[in-house]
Amino acid sequence: MFKDLDPILHSQLRLAIVSLLISVKEAEFTFIREKTNSTAGNLSVQIQKLKDAGYIDVMKQFKNNYPQTTCKITKPGIRAFEEYVINLQSYLGKG
Amino acid sequence: MTDEKFSPEQSLQLIRTMINKTKRSMSDKSIYFLVWGWITFVACISQFVLKHIFQYEKHYLVWTLMIIGIVFSIYQGRKEEKTIRAKTYVDESMKHLWAGMAISFFVLSMILSRLGWGTVVFPFFIMLYGLGTFISGSIIKFRPLIIGGISAWALAVGAAYVGYDYQILFGAAAILISYIIPAYMLRSRNKTVEQ
Repeated sequence: MFKDLDPILHSQLRLAIVSLLISVKEAEFTFIREKTNSTAGNLSVQIQKLKDAGYIDVMKQFKNNYPQTTCKITKPGIRAFEEYVINLQSYLGKG
Repeated sequence: MTDEKFSPEQSLQLIRTMINKTKRSMSDKSIYFLVWGWITFVACISQFVLKHIFQYEKHYLVWTLMIIGIVFSIYQGRKEEKTIRAKTYVDESMKHLWAGMAISFFVLSMILSRLGWGTVVFPFFIMLYGLGTFISGSIIKFRPLIIGGISAWALAVGAAYVGYDYQILFGAAAILISYIIPAYMLRSRNKTVEQ
């Protein structure tokens, strides 16, 4: 039996965001937007969903007088990503 | 990028692509190696010339050149802090490593200024340079820095077998092999990756 893939992660943009954050300590909103080629509106919505799931932390602060949003993956986020990859491998291995 | 569902194969491909993108965003730290490398190299050669050729007593004053490196590092660090948009673990590790190295150099200077600089200063300093470049090379997976670090360790041992004046030249050689040459190679590798 295949385990269902986590619906929070099994979406193109959300998976891209988490894959980026898994390999950095933290990243700014503009960095994520540039690397994922997404629109600010869509990215905000998906970041909020990941935040609501407890997979990422979102910090809002001021840098050089400009508002800045920084995202960081959480421990539950890392666990969910690892589990997602394991499930993905079982799909690909047996599929 | 859309929010559509997709196949497991596409998922895996996407993960790979995104991880590769962060790899490329690792900042180029070769400028620090170059600035510190050249300042230290010039200091070593100047000290050798002043002491060995001109027999100038206060030859050690050339080490005040290090202030330029400190000022540059603070300025560059602040500049990067303003522009950096993602903190990678590699950048963080490098920052902590070299902060620790700077403190170690300072502690060693404090110890030696109490116990006497004698002929131990250069072997110990070269050994520390070796440690810093060996670990840096291992963190960023850059072989010339690793080789440079190992060479510096060999030069540290070699320096223990010669007199103080020639130890200075061992110091200059260590800087050239472990800092300056790998830094130029790193710079050209980063430029190639960017293209």
